[in-house]
Amino acid sequence: MTIKVRELGVTAPTIAATLNVIEEQYPLLYRNVCDETGMVRRHINVFINKSLVRDPKEFSTQLSPGDVVTIMTAVSGG
Amino acid sequence: MAERVVLCIGTKKGLFIAEAAKTRKRFDLRGPFGEGVSVYSALVDTRKKPTIYASSCNAFFGMKVLKSTDLGKSFKETKSAPAFPKDDGRALANIWSLETGYDTKDLYCGVEPASLFHSEDAGDSWEMVPGISNHEHARQWQPGGGGLCMHTIVKDGQRLHLGISTGGHYLSEDRGQTFKAANTGVGAGFDPNPYPEFGQCVHKIATHPDAPGRFYMQNHGGWDECPGIGVLRSDDHGHTWRSIAKGLPSDFGFPIVVHPHNPDVAYVVPLVPMTRTCPDAAPAVWRTENGGDSWKRLAKGFPKKDSYFTVLRDSLDIDSLKSPALYLGTTTGQLWMGHEGGQEWTCLFDALPPINCVKVAVV
Repeated sequence: MTIKVRELGVTAPTIAATLNVIEEQYPLLYRNVCDETGMVRRHINVFINKSLVRDPKEFSTQLSPGDVVTIMTAVSGG
Repeated sequence: MAERVVLCIGTKKGLFIAEAAKTRKRFDLRGPFGEGVSVYSALVDTRKKPTIYASSCNAFFGMKVLKSTDLGKSFKETKSAPAFPKDDGRALANIWSLETGYDTKDLYCGVEPASLFHSEDAGDSWEMVPGISNHEHARQWQPGGGGLCMHTIVKDGQRLHLGISTGGHYLSEDRGQTFKAANTGVGAGFDPNPYPEFGQCVHKIATHPDAPGRFYMQNHGGWDECPGIGVLRSDDHGHTWRSIAKGLPSDFGFPIVVHPHNPDVAYVVPLVPMTRTCPDAAPAVWRTENGGDSWKRLAKGFPKKDSYFTVLRDSLDIDSLKSPALYLGTTTGQLWMGHEGGQEWTCLFDALPPINCVKVAVV
């Protein structure tokens, strides 16, 4: 399996704001990350640096300069 | 080009296409397309240049609609897939049905949670149909074992019929603008009121253009307290229904299919309610030749014992050739062909992924 990584270069103050920018600038990608209610899909994980952020309430936590937000698919299923 | 028989086989691991000459002696298989992703519905649109559509129901990245204009040699995603309005509060969980609409580029799509979407541009954009999706009953429907799904869309002149599990049968008489529950005679063995206005677990509905107003329904049967509610017939465009289950070994099942040239001929696959497998572990399709007055078991070629597969609601179809063949997909990944209207069965493919749906067209 090959893992494809793409850096978007989005600058935003929170995860929520990051997702908003993705929705605006990359609508096809956004559909894969969030459903139509705005919730991050069940098998998609969002990290700040190396820390997994599961609680959507934490999506409004302020990011620090230099933080990297990573969006990854959880490898699961059969 | 000579006519070809094209089979769309939606599986847990993607869509397979099997193609044969009219003789149907050998089917060549290709795929999977949308690999690794479950396909619950497929459509071969023959109104103009044949176009294949299939739902790609991705638990990771959401729902997509796949489209092929080269008879299933390659597929691309349509420009968009059905999606609820942002302020609706519902999120698409599955795509259960794809059907042609009234004009040449019109498509309908039934989804989970039970709602209807309409496309006027061959699937590149979709609008929710509010008459049913926001129906006053919609928030009272409950999911069945497969989810709260709109699995059946049947055009009937200006009428549009929908099957919802569990919601029941809904009828529009104004081309999909407004809908009413039309379940008189349709039972629900799991409800304290065995004949509620709505909320039945309809499994599939079928009709034939040569018998206007006649519909066949496979409902959720198998209830000792409500015998015979599983296989039903309507002769008034679905306003009222009556049992035609007498003579079947079980009135539980999922698919129901009508012969392409004779509206009196219909097929069901009776299953044991608790296991959803064929009675006595011996697979059989049952056929009526008189509109449901009597039924005959068709099992030649099937195993006589030790077979425990389920045939899901969209996993039985019939082609339109002069002597039509039936195609039956199983949850154990077998694809069977029933020659001469089901007189004799052969296994075309015996090790596909679990099969969700089978659609056939002669193009």
